[in-house]
Amino acid sequence: MGNYCVPQQMKVERIGIEDPARTLRTYDLSFVNDSDRDAFKYLPGQFCELSIPGKGESPFGIASSPTEEGFLRFTVNRTGSVTNEIHYLRNGDTIGLRGPLGNWYPVEDLKGMNVLIVGGGFAFTTLRSLLIYLMDSRDDHKDITVIYGARNPDLFIYKDEIALWKQRSDIQMHLTIDKPVDGWDKKTGFVPAVVKEVAPSPENTMAIVCGPPVMIKYTLPVLTQLGFSDERIYTSLERRMKCGIGKCGRCNIGSKYICIDGPVFSMAELKNIPETV
Amino acid sequence: MNMVRLDKKKFGDFILELSVEHAVYAPGNTGGKTDFIPVSSEDEINLKTLVTDLSPKGIFFPHSEVLYEYDTEGIRVPEKEAGKPIAVWGMRGCDSRSLLMLNKVFGSAIQMPDNKNFQDPYWKEKYDSSVIFGSACNMPQSTCFCNWFGDGPHSREGMDVFVVDAGDHYLMEPVSDKGSNILGKLTCLTDSLEGDAEAALKLASEAESTMVPPMDVNGLGELLNDLYDEPVWEDISAKCINCGACTFSCPTCHCYDIQDEGKGSSGKRIRIWDSCMFPIFTMEASGHNPRALSSQRVRQRVMHKYSYFLEKYGDFLCTGCGRCITVCPVNLDIREVLKTINVYNRQGITNG
Repeated sequence: MGNYCVPQQMKVERIGIEDPARTLRTYDLSFVNDSDRDAFKYLPGQFCELSIPGKGESPFGIASSPTEEGFLRFTVNRTGSVTNEIHYLRNGDTIGLRGPLGNWYPVEDLKGMNVLIVGGGFAFTTLRSLLIYLMDSRDDHKDITVIYGARNPDLFIYKDEIALWKQRSDIQMHLTIDKPVDGWDKKTGFVPAVVKEVAPSPENTMAIVCGPPVMIKYTLPVLTQLGFSDERIYTSLERRMKCGIGKCGRCNIGSKYICIDGPVFSMAELKNIPETV
Repeated sequence: MNMVRLDKKKFGDFILELSVEHAVYAPGNTGGKTDFIPVSSEDEINLKTLVTDLSPKGIFFPHSEVLYEYDTEGIRVPEKEAGKPIAVWGMRGCDSRSLLMLNKVFGSAIQMPDNKNFQDPYWKEKYDSSVIFGSACNMPQSTCFCNWFGDGPHSREGMDVFVVDAGDHYLMEPVSDKGSNILGKLTCLTDSLEGDAEAALKLASEAESTMVPPMDVNGLGELLNDLYDEPVWEDISAKCINCGACTFSCPTCHCYDIQDEGKGSSGKRIRIWDSCMFPIFTMEASGHNPRALSSQRVRQRVMHKYSYFLEKYGDFLCTGCGRCITVCPVNLDIREVLKTINVYNRQGITNG
């Protein structure tokens, strides 16, 4: 992509509805131009700016894995004017995309290690990308443990896939919701408490955390208590990113821009940066 | 190439000659304020203005700029007009230096994490071909503090040609190859006379002598980092009304927003100056706002200028032009802020 300020055109191929209230939808996009498709190389954890002409642009983590060919997946929570407009899209409509932007989870460093994935709510997007990526080279990794929390059972995204993951013996899935509801037979309680309860061993383990700011804030210290070193904890942060290329000035934490120095940071990097979470 | 002279009687000819191959910008009056405006003759230029109300950043980084246009057919980057390269007359050292700082943001290739390089085409094509006629500042104002950053009123950084107003004539000296080149082409210039160089030096030392001694800014970046969580920011920001005038008038503030302007199915996507002083600057759609408090925003502005930019690019993001001091409706003086930081540290931290 020569000019990072100008989006390439994507076509909506599939739309999935993730929750009964229909506020969370998943979009599979294909490239309108083959040259854009061929040039687009990404890794789990990166994000894109999706744009609707006349409405604006917003950043979204890529939920598909680079090992899944033919489409890019994004899950969009209907919150503001751009996401509202995205929710009006139908199959075959076009949408602008700039990316891939930002850095990625340390996938090379995960080889030969146990991986602990901790996620919350609809921030599970890039974690899904990572999980699919890890499973597509399953033999390269040891134990994979997933702790995923949502406010209530409806708000988990990728429910069909979760059902499949739970059946696999090579992934330990722990689902939790904030408060008990009828018919829920998994864990209840906030993610940090569940991480403490599950108490994954820090031995040869890398922890990858992504979720709402408050979840990250209280989960990181739990991991530290469990014995994870700062170099073995990674998290993905979010700010209101606009340009995505480290110029427009709003997504900084300290001297780092989330959009080009992140969004993925190790706990060791974050120690010296103020106002992270 | 040596120093040359331009007789002020020939200034009109000079501007006309410069205009043949350049789009000329110079200090002028617009909307009751002074700004750098496009000019085609001497009459449009305000030679009396000291520091212009608005900074010259708008020449290269306009208040709003079209990134691309869209309609039902798709999107297009507007065709570049086969425009002349830009020449700027009358830019003080504080302002020419600010362009070097902005060039670090917009002009240098930013390496993306995937090792692709990105260069901002919108800034680069204008700035790289431009020629800057700097203006030695013979009359620093009470709000000027360029000397805090190792500079002085006769600084030449960021200029292609250094120009001294020496009464009935200008003295010009090339600073860059581009400057030598253009001075070699202009016909209305004459050789300098004996004593001209000394006269320029005398004006420089006179101007320097009127400036208040600077605060020592060594270690300011670390000082600020140490004070990040201190309550001093609440005192500093107490009177700030977050109007953003400081950021708009600042020659180095470069934060921008991206907005779509359109009607029906056609329109354009623009980038437009934004301000870290506004709460909405960082407000997310969820309602979460990492800088919801005024004190957090004021701290961000000060930290960006004197700590973060220094860490990232090796320079303060401030030239001491003093515009933010002049324009502030509540008299929040950035020099006082930095002095407060300096004293607070000595008393509050070093002395335990």
